[in-house]
Amino acid sequence: MAELTTLAYRPGISLLHTLDARVKMVGLVLISMACLRASLPALTAAALAMCVLAIHCRLNIRALFKEIRFFIVFVAVVWIVRATTTPGDAVWQIGRLAASRQGVFEGALVCGRLMMVVMSGILFIVTTRPFQIKSAVAWFLAPVPLIPHDRVATMMGLIVRFVPVIFGQARQTADAQRARCSENRKNPVYRMSKLAVPVMRRTFITADRLALAMEARCYNESRTPRPAPLGRRDLIALVLIICASLLTAVV
Amino acid sequence: MNIIEIEDLCHRFADGTSGLQHVSLTIRRGEFAVLAGPNGSGKTTLLKHLNGLLLAHSGTVRVGGIPVDRDPVGVRQMVGMVFQDADSQIVGETVYEDVAFGPENLLLSAQEVDRRVKQSLAAVELQVSVDQSPHTLSGGEKRRLAIAGVLAMAPQVIVLDEPFSDLDYPATVQVLKQILNLHRNGHTVLLTTHDLEKVIAHADRLILLRDGRVARSDLPANLLKETEAFGVRAPCATRMGLEVESWLS
Repeated sequence: MAELTTLAYRPGISLLHTLDARVKMVGLVLISMACLRASLPALTAAALAMCVLAIHCRLNIRALFKEIRFFIVFVAVVWIVRATTTPGDAVWQIGRLAASRQGVFEGALVCGRLMMVVMSGILFIVTTRPFQIKSAVAWFLAPVPLIPHDRVATMMGLIVRFVPVIFGQARQTADAQRARCSENRKNPVYRMSKLAVPVMRRTFITADRLALAMEARCYNESRTPRPAPLGRRDLIALVLIICASLLTAVV
Repeated sequence: MNIIEIEDLCHRFADGTSGLQHVSLTIRRGEFAVLAGPNGSGKTTLLKHLNGLLLAHSGTVRVGGIPVDRDPVGVRQMVGMVFQDADSQIVGETVYEDVAFGPENLLLSAQEVDRRVKQSLAAVELQVSVDQSPHTLSGGEKRRLAIAGVLAMAPQVIVLDEPFSDLDYPATVQVLKQILNLHRNGHTVLLTTHDLEKVIAHADRLILLRDGRVARSDLPANLLKETEAFGVRAPCATRMGLEVESWLS
C-alpha cells in the first residue's frame, strides 16, 4: 500500500534528524514567531537558510510542492487579495480592479511569512519521529498542573495512527454507496447522512476494538519514560536557534 | 502440566444472551490447540477470558495457577492475544512504536524495550523499516506485526483469534510459519479458526465449540471426520479419505 502523504517522517542522518525533538519544537515556535515579525530582507535570508536545510535533509522538493499545492493556491489568493485591496500607486489595472505597488509588497511579505511558518513545520515533521514528538509534548506538559500529560501524548499518537484508518473506512463506505448509485440522489444532506452514520458506526467499533487491544497489552498511564537529557549538541543548537530567531525578528 | 485450567466457565452478555455455558477445559504447557466452531459458537469470548478482558460470571479460569479475576494484569503478561482485526490492534504510529507499546506498559527500561522490539521483529521475520507506518504494511505484515507486539511482552501462552482471516495464500503461509516457530520455541499456542484446512496438520489437539459449549476435544485425527456435524467444514483431504497435508509442504 502506498504512503498516504510525503509529509511524514523520513529517516535520515541530517543535523535536524539527530537533534532532540524538544529543541526542534522550541525552534519551530521561535522561528515561526520571528518570521511573523520579519522584514523582507530577513525573510529572504531565513528562506535561503530553510532551503539549505531542506536540501541537507534530502527533502523531495517537487513532491513537497505537489503535497502543499492547495496551500500554495491559498497563498496566491491571499497575495492577489492583498495586492488589489491595499491602497497605493497602481502597478496594473484591469477594469475597476487595480493592484498597488504597496499591496504587492505587503502581500509578498505576508505570503512569505506564511510559507516560512509552513516550511518550518514541514522540516520539523519530516525529521522527527512521531514518538519523539509525542514524548516532547508530554515532557513540556508535565509541569502543567491538571493536565494528564501521558494521556495527552497517547491520544496524540492514536490520532496520528488512526486518521488514515478512518479515512480509509470512509472511502470504502463511499465507494460501496456509489456502487449502489448513491450519486443519483442529488440531496447532499441525504447523501452525507447516509455516509456519516455507517462511518461513525465503524469508527466507534474500531475504537472499541482498539481499547480492548490496548487493555490486552497492559496499557496504563505510567509507562517507560522516553526523553533523555539534552546533549551538548542540542544545547548549542538551541542557542543558535534563539540567536537566529532574534536576528530574524529584529533586523 | 496444565498452564490453562478452565472449570465450569459461564458467561452471559449484557443483553442476557449466553456466550459460554459450563465450559471446562485444560491446556497443557507447550501444547498447540486449535479451537474451532461456527460463527457465534463462543471462540472469541472464550479467548477473552484467558486474557482477563472478560471475567467469568461463574466458574474459574486459571493461567499458570493464578485465577484470572485475581490478577488480570499479571495474566495479560502471561497470555498474549492476537486479535482477528490486526488494523485495530496496532496502536503505534510506526512499526517500532507499536512493538514497544507492550514493554513500555510494563515499565521496562528503555534498553530492554529496544532489545525486545528488535528481538520480536526478528522472530517474526518482519523485514520492514522500524520507522514505517503500520498503515502502509500488507495484510500479512500487519498480522506479523501484531504477533511481534505480543511477543515483545514475553508471554508464555499466545492465543490467536482467526489469524488467517483476510490473508492470501503467501501471507497465510508466512503467518503459519511464524506460529509454528513460536510453538517450536516453547510457547503454548491456542488458535481459533473456522477453517481447519490451513493449520490442523500441525495441531496437537482439536477442540470443537458449539453454542458456547465444548462439544468435542481430542486428537485432530480422531475428530476430523465429525467436524461438519458441528458446523465446521472438514479439510478437503479428510473428505477425500486422505491424510491432511501441511500448507508448508
